[in-house]
Amino acid sequence: MFLSHVWGLFAHPTQEWEEIRKERCSIGKCYCTHVLFLAAIPAISGFIGTTQIGWQIGNSEVVKLTTDSALVIAILTYITMLVAIFSIGSMVHWMGKTYGTEQPLPQGIALAAYSGTPLFLIGLMSLYPVLWLNMIVGLPALAYSVFLLYTGLPIMMKVNKEQGFLFASAIMSLGMVVLVAVLTVIVLLWGFGVGPVFTSSFGVLAPFDLV
Amino acid sequence: MTATQEMYNYKVVRQFAIMTVIWGIVGMLVGVYIAAEMAWPFLNFDTPYITFGRLRSLHTNAVIFAFGGSALFASSYYAVQRTCHTRLFSDKLASFTFWGWQLVIVSAAITLPLGFTSSKEYAELEWPIDILITVVWVSYAIVFFGTIMKRKVKHIYVANWFFGGFILTVAVLHIVNSAVLPVSLFKSYSAYAGVQDAMIQWWYGHNAVGFFLTAGFLGIMYYFVPKQAGRPVYSYRLSVVHFWALIFTYIWAGPHHLHYTALPDWTQSLGMAFSLILLAPSWGGMINGIMTLSGAWEKLRTDPILRFLIVSISFYGMSTFEGPMMAIKTVNALSHYTDWTIGHVHSGALGWVAMVSIGAMYYLIPRMYNREIYSLKLVEWHFWLATLGIALYIVAMWVSGVTQGLMWRAVNADGTLTYSFIQSVQASHPFYIVRFVGGALFLSGMFIMLYNTLKTIGGAKAIEAPVLAPAAAH
Repeated sequence: MFLSHVWGLFAHPTQEWEEIRKERCSIGKCYCTHVLFLAAIPAISGFIGTTQIGWQIGNSEVVKLTTDSALVIAILTYITMLVAIFSIGSMVHWMGKTYGTEQPLPQGIALAAYSGTPLFLIGLMSLYPVLWLNMIVGLPALAYSVFLLYTGLPIMMKVNKEQGFLFASAIMSLGMVVLVAVLTVIVLLWGFGVGPVFTSSFGVLAPFDLV
Repeated sequence: MTATQEMYNYKVVRQFAIMTVIWGIVGMLVGVYIAAEMAWPFLNFDTPYITFGRLRSLHTNAVIFAFGGSALFASSYYAVQRTCHTRLFSDKLASFTFWGWQLVIVSAAITLPLGFTSSKEYAELEWPIDILITVVWVSYAIVFFGTIMKRKVKHIYVANWFFGGFILTVAVLHIVNSAVLPVSLFKSYSAYAGVQDAMIQWWYGHNAVGFFLTAGFLGIMYYFVPKQAGRPVYSYRLSVVHFWALIFTYIWAGPHHLHYTALPDWTQSLGMAFSLILLAPSWGGMINGIMTLSGAWEKLRTDPILRFLIVSISFYGMSTFEGPMMAIKTVNALSHYTDWTIGHVHSGALGWVAMVSIGAMYYLIPRMYNREIYSLKLVEWHFWLATLGIALYIVAMWVSGVTQGLMWRAVNADGTLTYSFIQSVQASHPFYIVRFVGGALFLSGMFIMLYNTLKTIGGAKAIEAPVLAPAAAH
């Protein structure tokens, strides 16, 4: 079934996690029925939002991205999300030993993938790419993802609640580190001149232009 | 217990512990107010004393030196006595450090709003106060190292190495950076000129972070985390290795505050390289803390204080990863002067420094009065308010900072700037409101802590505890 757990994760999360665990899904199946679809939401919405709708700073003209530039960004975003889910899932698997449990890799990946569900769904907001609005709406989604991680981890990794809290906190720290790492790579790319191209007549000054 | 039994000096620990909570509230209240001024500038009511420029340095001095400083004094005086099995070297001198430090803080709270400033970041206080700081700090060093000298055990526990390293280095940093030529009671000029002055300032500034806000608080971590978790440090060898690696590396990282300035390019690159290397010792400390806590999971159900320690180490790991990334020159070209820096500082200051201090104070204060904490439920509330507050603060500053960085470097085809500065301020406005909300949540947690503290110690008698005999050698 495609996207079969999405509704359940909102309606009755604990019960849904139990079902996800029992399913013992393979990595391929987890990606094909869930991740590949959901990760497409922010990528496609972002592409449409930045090329068709655009945003405004104060009273200035509407800023959009060129189609080519937005397409590259959308594809890179999509790939980054797929890789991020896999790497966080692998980290969960790898850290299991420290927290006294050894679950197969697919269980860790399923934990990462299903915890991310609210964030993927809220990606729809980037149809209307106004940063502060996206952030206000995104924060509750982020909070729910964190909640899903903390409730799902003890179930998926078969540890008790207290151990789960520690384990999930370690995953949260890693998640933040991954986020900062992605941000750094993006900023480095901008710095080397690979960046968004805007429809209006301006570009972005790379630090190399300064020296 | 006989009449000649030696007792620990708990009085000075108690005084500093209580003042930690009070100065925490004062410093963070000023912080929340200036966050509101950033969002709604009319709040300075055209009064020079409460403009952002003057209150900002009051905020940083209050949270770093009053709140953080009191936490360090309290915990180092406690830990050094307990781990050396002896009373503090001198009660009079210890008492002098308490009253002297309070005098420094009060002087700062008066002179900074009046506009007296050396203009050196985190070292704004004018020369008479700097001299007082030096005297208090040297007394602190005498009390601390004097206590180490009269220890009853051969070994010096690793937390004391971190405290000792922090005390010595801060003394050197403060004295060198504060060298000035006074022209009047409240006006002086730096002993250094131009770019040398800037380099001295950021050698001081970054090591204020590295030693005051990191090494000292790692000392807190190495005493209070094993205590609260009820188990030994995960790897004692790692703790010693990362101590030496940390103090060797940190001292070189200052130039990353001066990327793309008049500072020679090779010095900038050197600072960047050392900042990247710094990741290794920092994560050595994080791994040691996390692994020590990892075995204490069965205590989590009954002990919300552990949660503060867990989150503090998580944020220590995150911000010590973020710092080296931001020190990369290409990244810094975007991030410098933006809110990203403010977010980074606060993930360290609120997430690491404040959380570990709060955890240590919740451990310390009830023990000073031989009582249980009044309400664990309120500790839990404090934890969630603080965590949510930090999350809002950091996310807002990330988004705002990257937006500012992109807008400031956007240029038109003819080379003119696309955006005026005020347009970037407009773009940041919503994030300033979110930052204010985040800060207010963190502050409200501190008020809960104050209430809980007062309820805990209300009517209680301060206790005297006998010095414990060292465990038999093994």
